[in-house]
Amino acid sequence: MILIATGGLLAAAACVAFAVRKRLAIVGPFTVLALAAAIALAYATPVDTTGDLLDLQLRLSALGRLSALALLATTLLLVIHVWIDEPAYNFFPTALAVGACVYAVFVLVEPLAICGALILGLLLPVGSFTFHVTENRSVEAAVRHFEFVALGGSLALSALALASGLPHDQPATTFVLLVVILFVAFALMLAAIPFHMHAALLASEAPAPALGLYFGVLVPATFVAFAEVLTLSGLLPAIVQVTTVQDLLLGIGLVSAIGGAVLALGAADLRRLVVYSVIANLGAALVGMATLSGPGIVGALAIMLVTGACATQQLLAAGTLEARAGMDRPRARYAPLAAAAFVAGGIGMIGAPPLVGFPGRFFVELIAYQYSGAAGTALVVSTFALLAAQLRAVLALFSDPVDPLRVERRPVAGVIGAVIFLALLAGGLLPDVLLRPIADFVEEFLKALRPL
Amino acid sequence: MIWLGAVAVTVLAANGAARLRRAAGAFFLVSLAADAVGASTTSLPLLAVAACAGTVSAAILYVAAGDETYGEEPGWRLWMATIVAGGATAAAFASFRTVAAGAAPPPPYGDDPAGVTVQVAAFWLLSSGVAILLSARSAVRATLGALLMTSGVQLLVRLTTGPHLALSLLVAWLQVVVALAGAFLIVNERVTRDR
Repeated sequence: MILIATGGLLAAAACVAFAVRKRLAIVGPFTVLALAAAIALAYATPVDTTGDLLDLQLRLSALGRLSALALLATTLLLVIHVWIDEPAYNFFPTALAVGACVYAVFVLVEPLAICGALILGLLLPVGSFTFHVTENRSVEAAVRHFEFVALGGSLALSALALASGLPHDQPATTFVLLVVILFVAFALMLAAIPFHMHAALLASEAPAPALGLYFGVLVPATFVAFAEVLTLSGLLPAIVQVTTVQDLLLGIGLVSAIGGAVLALGAADLRRLVVYSVIANLGAALVGMATLSGPGIVGALAIMLVTGACATQQLLAAGTLEARAGMDRPRARYAPLAAAAFVAGGIGMIGAPPLVGFPGRFFVELIAYQYSGAAGTALVVSTFALLAAQLRAVLALFSDPVDPLRVERRPVAGVIGAVIFLALLAGGLLPDVLLRPIADFVEEFLKALRPL
Repeated sequence: MIWLGAVAVTVLAANGAARLRRAAGAFFLVSLAADAVGASTTSLPLLAVAACAGTVSAAILYVAAGDETYGEEPGWRLWMATIVAGGATAAAFASFRTVAAGAAPPPPYGDDPAGVTVQVAAFWLLSSGVAILLSARSAVRATLGALLMTSGVQLLVRLTTGPHLALSLLVAWLQVVVALAGAFLIVNERVTRDR
């Protein structure tokens, strides 16, 4: 019952927020309260709570609870930023509806339903991507996003429906084909290279909080959903039978890791740097998943959850720095706290200790070396390229002297960045909080991989 | 088999429509024909859910068009999409069919308990949708392609072993959200074009 109440609260709040969306004085605090209540409910829900809705089974696993708390909290921070710093009325109902979909993704057990809820969530930000449509290409960017999600989502649903309907005496190649379609479908939805064109366009045209909602909340949710769908669909044994399928996932991961890092090195602005960094980290996570090993999958999921938080931190800071600089190049002197938040986000993005991003990246790079020397080397090169890209951006930000005692007016992005940094630091000091629930899920994944 | 032909013809009509309102009308017929495929083996609530979603989606597209003239000329994309969809449907049916190769073909009228026509219609809708989506230049054809794909998914869901009503409801909602998001983009795209 509590599972339905939490999702229902968010969905109902989204409808109310849509009705009063133009009354910014009401819709902002209302959205914050609704998200805070949903987070409290999710926190109060014990692990392994079950339920059902219209014959659909529901279950809140340890990973689902962790992911729901992390991603709903990230959404809450985004909403606070939009409410205080740059009111955009479309954002509030979108954030609540995305929250409802993300929560549904983590409590549903049927793979088709997980995928359906995920696609609903991925389609909703279309409304918040488009702004000042006569002055920029945000509509074109939103159309490309819509196409990629519709294509990837429909392919994923079809593959899962076929996998569920096909009798098990089919030739192995049939299931292998379905797994390949599923990989390509999720690569389309995750904006992995070579399916990243819409992400590049979005990075330059969409508002920073809307980008935060996509890259900070929905991309990590999609990755976790990918892992859950693989586990629950019964397709995992097909991957073990044919190593080519595993190599396909590894290939997409390596291309994204290296390609994302190279693109980040050449990024023309801060937001593109963040988006390409997310793609590079996504690639590293896909490599971890492709190893089909415990440490690899633990590392992959940890990387994506941490990347979501860091991307939110950096995108909000980048948006503030750009807005405060006006026509000038973004510099730290215009918004010193936001610049500090951007630097802190960069530290988390590259997985540097003592932040909680370190164990995940360490696991993935270690297991990638064990899988193949070339894969491990590629991931290390990708990390160093990301480090260089972030350093380049920081040097450009701090090229002018900054008064250490001056703080910008309404330092919302800076304060949110500090909150996320403290959370990542606390996670680094107590890594079990993040890694234990993921490890519990990985046990289920490995059982599904090699059923007795 | 008759309804399978109706699905093929209405998809061609939707694909070939240069005006969005005509495409919306053709999509309404596609959804009706898709519901009729294998209707005798499907429960009434499932059919009602799919029919509602198809009708609402077509109505949303019709309203989003604004007037009779707005749309996207398909040109060579019509033939490319048709040829690609034909090849992809045959390949998909050969790879994923659940019916034994030697089974008797379904009758022109009446029941199709094996679900051959449902599968073929689903593959045709999915491959037509993919071909239209990949060749779309604007939100008009992108939305049409996405809606055709969700109609194909709705048919495939009927053949699964899971909770049919809940999954059909979810896919129906997905279709309506696709139509709403597409309509939002069409309206905004028109604002930028008319400027």
